[in-house]
Amino acid sequence: MIWLWLVGLVRRSPTRLLAAAGGIAIAVALVAGLGSFLVSSQATMTQRAAAQVAVDWQVQVAAHRSPGSVLKAVGSAPGTRTAVPVGFADSPGLRATTAGTTQDTGAAKVLGLPPGYADTFPLAIRVLAGNVNGAVVAQQTAANLHVTPGDRVRVARAGLPPYWVKVVGVVELPQADSLFQRVGAPTQSQPVAPPDNVILLPASRFNTEYAGLARTRPDLVTTQIHVVRDHAGLPSDPSSAFTAETGAANNLAVRTSGAAVVGNNLGASLDAAREDASYARILFLFLGAPGALLAAALTAAITQAGAGRRRKEQSLLRARGSTPAQLLRLVLVEAAVVGALGGLIGLGVAAVIGAASSWPWDVAAAVAGLLVAALVVAVPAARDLRTVAAGESARALQHTRPVWMRFGLDVVLIALGLAVFWASGRNKYSLVLAPEGVPTISVSYWAFLAPALAWLGCGLLCWRIADTLLFRGRRVVAFASRPFLGPLSQTVASMLMRQRRLVSRSAVLVALALAFAVSTATFNATYRQQAEVDAQLTNGADVTVTESPGANATPADGAPIAAVSGVQAVEPLQHRFAYVGNDLQDLYGINPDTISRATTLQDAYFQGATASESLAQLRSRPDAILVSAETVNDFQLNQGDLIRLRLQDAKTQTYKSVTFHYVGIVNEFPTAPKDSFLVANADYVAQQTGNAAVGTFLVSTGGNNVSSVADQIRSVVGTTGSVGTIDDARGLVGSSLTSVDLSKLTRLELAFALLIAAAAGGLVIGLGLAERRQAIAIATGLGATRKQVRRFGSAEPAFVLLVGTLGGLSTGWGLSYLLVKVLTGVFDPAPTGLTAPWGYLVALVACTVAAVGLAAIVVIERARRHARTLLRAI
Amino acid sequence: MTTSAARPLPSTHGPELDERLVVCDRASRTFGHGSLAVVAVHDASCAVTARSRVALVGPSGSGKSTLLQLMAGLDSPTSGSIVWPTWETGPFQDPSRAGVVFQGLSLIPSLTAAENVAFPLLIQGLSHDVAIAQARESLDLLGIGGLGDKVPEELSGGQAQRVAVARVVSSRPKLIFADEPTGQLDRVSGDRVIDVLLDAADHLGAGLVVSTHDATVAARLDVTWRMHDGELVVAA
Repeated sequence: MIWLWLVGLVRRSPTRLLAAAGGIAIAVALVAGLGSFLVSSQATMTQRAAAQVAVDWQVQVAAHRSPGSVLKAVGSAPGTRTAVPVGFADSPGLRATTAGTTQDTGAAKVLGLPPGYADTFPLAIRVLAGNVNGAVVAQQTAANLHVTPGDRVRVARAGLPPYWVKVVGVVELPQADSLFQRVGAPTQSQPVAPPDNVILLPASRFNTEYAGLARTRPDLVTTQIHVVRDHAGLPSDPSSAFTAETGAANNLAVRTSGAAVVGNNLGASLDAAREDASYARILFLFLGAPGALLAAALTAAITQAGAGRRRKEQSLLRARGSTPAQLLRLVLVEAAVVGALGGLIGLGVAAVIGAASSWPWDVAAAVAGLLVAALVVAVPAARDLRTVAAGESARALQHTRPVWMRFGLDVVLIALGLAVFWASGRNKYSLVLAPEGVPTISVSYWAFLAPALAWLGCGLLCWRIADTLLFRGRRVVAFASRPFLGPLSQTVASMLMRQRRLVSRSAVLVALALAFAVSTATFNATYRQQAEVDAQLTNGADVTVTESPGANATPADGAPIAAVSGVQAVEPLQHRFAYVGNDLQDLYGINPDTISRATTLQDAYFQGATASESLAQLRSRPDAILVSAETVNDFQLNQGDLIRLRLQDAKTQTYKSVTFHYVGIVNEFPTAPKDSFLVANADYVAQQTGNAAVGTFLVSTGGNNVSSVADQIRSVVGTTGSVGTIDDARGLVGSSLTSVDLSKLTRLELAFALLIAAAAGGLVIGLGLAERRQAIAIATGLGATRKQVRRFGSAEPAFVLLVGTLGGLSTGWGLSYLLVKVLTGVFDPAPTGLTAPWGYLVALVACTVAAVGLAAIVVIERARRHARTLLRAI
Repeated sequence: MTTSAARPLPSTHGPELDERLVVCDRASRTFGHGSLAVVAVHDASCAVTARSRVALVGPSGSGKSTLLQLMAGLDSPTSGSIVWPTWETGPFQDPSRAGVVFQGLSLIPSLTAAENVAFPLLIQGLSHDVAIAQARESLDLLGIGGLGDKVPEELSGGQAQRVAVARVVSSRPKLIFADEPTGQLDRVSGDRVIDVLLDAADHLGAGLVVSTHDATVAARLDVTWRMHDGELVVAA
């Protein structure tokens, strides 16, 4: 019997069967694809976190312990690829005499590097001038001493005579914070800033100069073992990788019996990446779960569209003696066929689009497909079986007002969603809490409730609106449709009123699908926009020309750059260092009237004022200055307060006091570091210091031909400056925003959202109309013209489209706002507003309208053409 | 039960009683091509006048419904001809020329009985209020005025079929075709439907052709045409 039923099902309703399997296939493909995204993005995050560490481990050799034995222990530790000893020594100060003046510095750090160190740890040292085959000084040290390659520096030693070295290069130490960490000390005991004065010596020279001191003052001369770890062997998940690395470091400490303390930079980087991994999971839930739910709802709607026919078949079988148990088995077989077919198609689709790379997720998706099929195919059919058995009228079910509507569930859900949103806002939407160094990580998943409840609530509200419009507002529907339906308008309004439950449900499905697509697309567009802003923030502009130390470029030097074809604007940006109390901060001198021509300043960069208001405040007085929030707190500043900074004078080369007035707070600024910095008027800074030197030229190309324009600029500036582009910055920015690579997820999500929206419209309308093709055939049989039949048949799709589209777009926009707010932690910097992906939105609506229109036309025309056959079959 | 007793239909002025409304001349209808071709109607020749009360009988699949649809203009013959001498074109798409009572329950499920009856009138361009009033009048005439606000699901098979007849009557056609109108009804309900059809045809002065495989139904009509394997045998 089961086999006969199955064959009959395939023969008589192949479209319905395939459509239901198609719904399951969408859910399976989506879950498999998203799982694949999650796994690959986590692996990417681990690799990226590992790749951006300059020195994986800095193993401090304890005083009076043998560096050789520690080196041996580190070298033999599992996962160690390279281990080299590095000497650290403290110097009371450095001195250099250049251009007739002598400069002295305060305490300095001297490092002894083994041969090939710069090649082994390429991220630790960046050569700015000269080479590293001898004594090299850090950039700020070179600035403090006014030395360039070829100059000599005197290095003082505690209790020993000083020695002289000839500088062969000037370098930048990009990760000076971790390089000069106090190994093994807690975070609060770490130095506030890396040392200002650093000199790097070859290991042989270091040993010569400090061997004696190491014996007499071991507190001043120490050894670290710098280690490169095997990144390829790390677990793909950042949390697991963090646990593995921490375990390995602890193991080393135990094996060396306290002779070694591990500064686990790799572990720290992985520790930070755990937060990004959690955000990836959050994105998976936020963006994937609604899609899978929608696909399930779509399958349910498809199944429901054939409910009438199924009830008739069940009644017939019952009348012919089938038992409820036999009918239940048939229902389960149908669900199993739909689930298995959907699972296979879904995994096939995922494989074709290259989104089925994780077999655990593939299996989970297939099992989920079977469960969804059981839920949406078998459960309603089994429920119908009870109603058939009880002789309950299908019509009684059809016209009963849903319970949720009577209890106002839609309003309750929306209110709850807003309440959760408000509560999340009080917590500044911090969804992920990853305490530094602690293996556990907490994710505030309950914040998902806000958009989830709002999404469901808006869907139900859409249902209520459609229901109310069709029931109480049918005169309005009749009036509005009169231009298209003529005398039939009132009759059609009455017809829709009686079908309102089905029509409203279709409208809700279209609205939810569109809302999902709109919110996903808007979130992704905003995300991309912010990634672009992040890249521009890092690079400064489309193209930047950073002048070499000592180049002394003036604003006039921007003219040759401005003349390059493709350059739209060039803006000089001063870069100085200023002492705020004892704190050395970056100071940027700008022209507030013209800075916006070359770079984008977002409102989020400033605090308490918009970007344009902040620039206006800067313009308001020559000595105006914007400072960081941290500085405001540290120095208890109030707006308008006079502050004194120490800036280097061009003539005397000494730091002099310059007065400014604090006018506002700046959090981010193009090219500026993440920590404290200052922004002032360039003219005032130049006037006060006697130096108009430009640090960087910000170049706008309007976003076009960035690399070719950069190439031309390189040929113009030659060796006087280095040219960076926004394209380079995209690959370098390491914020949580970009470390979760959304590009694959975006493509997957947008494609599925479009598919679901089109399928929701097309399939639900098509199958629903197919169930009601009897009415179209009767209208044809009664002599209605082709035009009349088309308009008569199109009334339902038109209503569904109108309510579904309006409801979906408005819900989607609202959800986008909630999503972007709740996921604030993903963005860096936070977006000022939503970015509308107009092209996608237009395509989305067009595809939905086209799918609905096509489905309606096909069904109507088929019913019209086969009216004779259909009328005989009734 | 809201059904009221049917009022006797007053006779109205119609076409000349002997005027031929539809003439079939060796009309054939073949479905499919080649070896799959099925000849549903073969060389059928007949004529229907306003006086005609015809029972078209024959077993299932003999071609009754196809011939009925050909005469109603719902379908075209593949050979031979069918003409409607009174009109320049076929009666299809003009409910005031010919009305068809379909085989099964042919009411639009989500419309009330009155709206179903008014539907052909609305197609013709009558305003909603006028069409509904006329529909209620037709329902009253057939003694089922009380069913006007019910949807088909709330009607019995006989009631639904009488509403379908009322729908035909409301357009006041000159030709009424009924395709197995009692096929899904019990004897009593079937008799009532035939009563209504005969009264309506008399009232409108319309020709009536009823296809049926029920000899009792056929006996209530004036003439019986027999069909067998697509061949029509018209009684003299």
